[in-house]
Amino acid sequence: MKSRPGLYVHVPFCSAICPYCDFAVLPGNAARAKRYAVRILDELAGISDDFGTFDTLYFGGGTPSFLDPEHLGRLVDELGAKSRLTADCRIYLEANPEDVDAHSVVAWRDLGVDTLSLGVQALDDESLSCLGRSHTADEARNAVGLARDAGFNCVSFDLLYGFETQSTADWRETLLRAVALEPDHLSCYELTTHEGTPFGRKKREGRLRDVASDNQGDLFRLTHQLLADQGLEGYEVSNFARSPQYQSRQNEKYWSHAPYLGLGPSAHSFAGHRRWWNIRTFFDWEKRLQRGESPIADRECLDAEALLLEWLMLRFRTRRGLNLSETRARYGVDLEKNNLELVDDLLANGLVTLEPPWLRPTLDGLAVADSLALAFDLTRERYGA
Amino acid sequence: MDLERERGITIKSNTVTLLYDAKDGERYQLNLIDTPGHVDFSHEVRRSLMSCEGALILVDASQGVEAQTVANLYLAMEYNLELLPVINKVDLSAADVDRVREEIDADLGLDPFEAIPVSAKLGRGIDDLLEAVVTKLPPPIGDPRAPLQALIFDAQYDPYRGVVLIVRVKEGKVAKGHTIRLMHSKKEYEVEEVGRLQLKRVKSNELTAGAVGYVIANIKAVRDIAIGDTVTDVAHAASSPLPGYKEAKPVVFSSIYPMSTHDYGDLAKALDKLTLNDPALTYEKDSSVALGHGFRCGFLGLLHLDVIQERLQREYGLSLLLSAPSVRYSITLETGETISVESPSLYPESNTIARTQEPYIKASVMMPERYLGAVMELCRDRRGENSTFHYLSVGRVELLSELPLAEVLFDFYDRLKTITQGYGSFEYEMLDYRETKILKVDILVNGERVDALSQLVHEDKARVRALHYCERLAGTIPRQQFKIAIQGVVGAKIIARTTINAYRKDVTAKCYGGDITRKRKLLEKQREGKKRMKVVGSVEIPQSAFVAVLKNDEK
Repeated sequence: MKSRPGLYVHVPFCSAICPYCDFAVLPGNAARAKRYAVRILDELAGISDDFGTFDTLYFGGGTPSFLDPEHLGRLVDELGAKSRLTADCRIYLEANPEDVDAHSVVAWRDLGVDTLSLGVQALDDESLSCLGRSHTADEARNAVGLARDAGFNCVSFDLLYGFETQSTADWRETLLRAVALEPDHLSCYELTTHEGTPFGRKKREGRLRDVASDNQGDLFRLTHQLLADQGLEGYEVSNFARSPQYQSRQNEKYWSHAPYLGLGPSAHSFAGHRRWWNIRTFFDWEKRLQRGESPIADRECLDAEALLLEWLMLRFRTRRGLNLSETRARYGVDLEKNNLELVDDLLANGLVTLEPPWLRPTLDGLAVADSLALAFDLTRERYGA
Repeated sequence: MDLERERGITIKSNTVTLLYDAKDGERYQLNLIDTPGHVDFSHEVRRSLMSCEGALILVDASQGVEAQTVANLYLAMEYNLELLPVINKVDLSAADVDRVREEIDADLGLDPFEAIPVSAKLGRGIDDLLEAVVTKLPPPIGDPRAPLQALIFDAQYDPYRGVVLIVRVKEGKVAKGHTIRLMHSKKEYEVEEVGRLQLKRVKSNELTAGAVGYVIANIKAVRDIAIGDTVTDVAHAASSPLPGYKEAKPVVFSSIYPMSTHDYGDLAKALDKLTLNDPALTYEKDSSVALGHGFRCGFLGLLHLDVIQERLQREYGLSLLLSAPSVRYSITLETGETISVESPSLYPESNTIARTQEPYIKASVMMPERYLGAVMELCRDRRGENSTFHYLSVGRVELLSELPLAEVLFDFYDRLKTITQGYGSFEYEMLDYRETKILKVDILVNGERVDALSQLVHEDKARVRALHYCERLAGTIPRQQFKIAIQGVVGAKIIARTTINAYRKDVTAKCYGGDITRKRKLLEKQREGKKRMKVVGSVEIPQSAFVAVLKNDEK
């Protein structure tokens, strides 16, 4: 089951930094965007790892829509010219609603973008201002409409839930409004408060509280159940698709230990058992490339156990679940045999289903995917050896 | 010991020989033995008293006469010692010498005007005291030419010299080169060195009748000897040992487990070392499914247990978990056979038991009378029998109650201190074994027995104790993927239960490119934490849960 590699390009600029965001971002301007466009090509040129041909190209951020379509186009052209993209390569672009207009959507379509992923986050103005977003609900709706009309293969948007001022009823309403916009794909993220963000500071000062764990559980189940009822099946903890064809090919690479190359500040790359990541800030990244140095900040070599732990943690995040034969083939571990009692317990408690070779989390299992991964004994007895 | 200084108690007796130039112009050699006062160490007190001619009864000038003062007074009287009351700590602002004199009269029946006020801290009154020792206490008698009879009343372990016997020579003499015999253990050794204890060991040629000093004779371990044994000279042997030899028997038992299994070897070594100096401590191998390998230890009482635990932790740096302390039950089986059981794991099937007896103590509580009602209530609650009280001095009473020892093991002392606002003092002596009805309470987690939490409990207390354990566990076991049922059972009968609901969500929302490394590291850390948890069935129980349950701070 060798999958092709994916390519991720991190665009760090935003017009305004959201108070909950802990990604590598900085306020953008035209000059920075231009410098970035030059250096990202430098970085690509300097990649020595032979990843072969990518079948995904994901512009993430930050706000890729902050970049001029022409600059995005140069990178796509460069990759195309070097035969680095497969014919059916899926191109993803994240965009903020305020950047979407009749011209930009056409430009992105022309670049070959298949999936436009909109940072909608909420569909009422009160929540949007609470989250520090700079667009209105109407602008968001308008952006979705424009994207639909532009004829992208897949229109997706992100929503956030689990912030203090949002009631369960509010969230249900948001979900229903989202469904009414008929997205092909939806990502619903529970808000995580990170240290070092304005929200994190508020939390430390006691001015912001996390939603209680049981309540989080309720919101999580509500999200999956409501969306499934509306034809958007949850295929991962936070991701929903109208049909399997709309499931994210890019994300599946992260969840299945497929190789991927990351370009841009803070981007991570993975191949086999190696992972490395770029320096986090734009300026350092730029400086390194300017000097002809590698922007890689650090790297790690994953041992068999670490790989296996990741594999479990990632696979239990997906409704498809864990393929026991594949696990045996890739990691040399007979997971079921080593955890008979546990699997029985998990089955009895309705956290997994077993349809050999698949061990799949149920919705309840998905909600506790982290501890499912931890519950397993990962002792490596080579199968058959 | 730091522990002694901190708690203001004496755990090990200490001996010192000092030379005193008295007012009569003579130089006297005084042998002083400082003994512990607490009941747990009464065997040590007895041995020390056996070595003496007289005793100074120290009374704290601010605290007054305490229950253990009285108990030790009686002990001293048993050995016909001349008694001299001393009022110490007169420098304290709370000192009330007149009141203490009244108590010495009323509570101890000693002459209050003989009592010498001193401040050991400031050295005040010490000359008066030493003078009184010379004039009031009788000098030792004994014939240096008689066959050797020396009482071993203490022993120390010196890593270079082996066991150092601390002896009182009653008759005869002992010197380097003599071959000595320990009369009870019947072992013989050649004397390498004798001398006096003057803060450090000072070599001398011989120890003669009346002397207190040390004997080094190439003895490997304290367990090779018995405190209370009599030393004699093989060449000139006494016909019989000195009277009063009694083995200190443990009455309180608890299993000690290292928090980390790696520390098992260190724990074994530490216990071995402690018994070198403290033969009253007993231990044997024990193991628990939940807590791994450990030792079942026997103690002279709760304070002894406490002291050992603290010494293991402080002096040996061990992190430990102790099972609920238990007494030794006497169980007569249907077959007629009688066995002693002090461990829940050895408790026989209930249908094979004809009758069970448990040890009782005679407890004495001395307190201001205003607390009497509350303390009587406490004793009643602890199955006390035949409680009586009498007035000591004005406003002070002594309550006597016959209590099961097991009831005292569970925070009795702390409750007493709380009820009497610190004014109550408590002392006890072992009484006898009495008929009882004991149940073995097991704690089940998702149907699996947690052996380390099993305990033997009186039938009236079973439900309360079981519920307490269940609730403590429920409060400390973290929520897991599935619901956890915690039950207290007697046999197959459930007598207490709580549940821990499954948690509903723990998965993080985002897990993309960069987050994977960070997320994995987080999981790896949690996994390390889980390795330290004990798995019972498929439930992970953190060590902190055992600590919380076994912490003996509530009934």
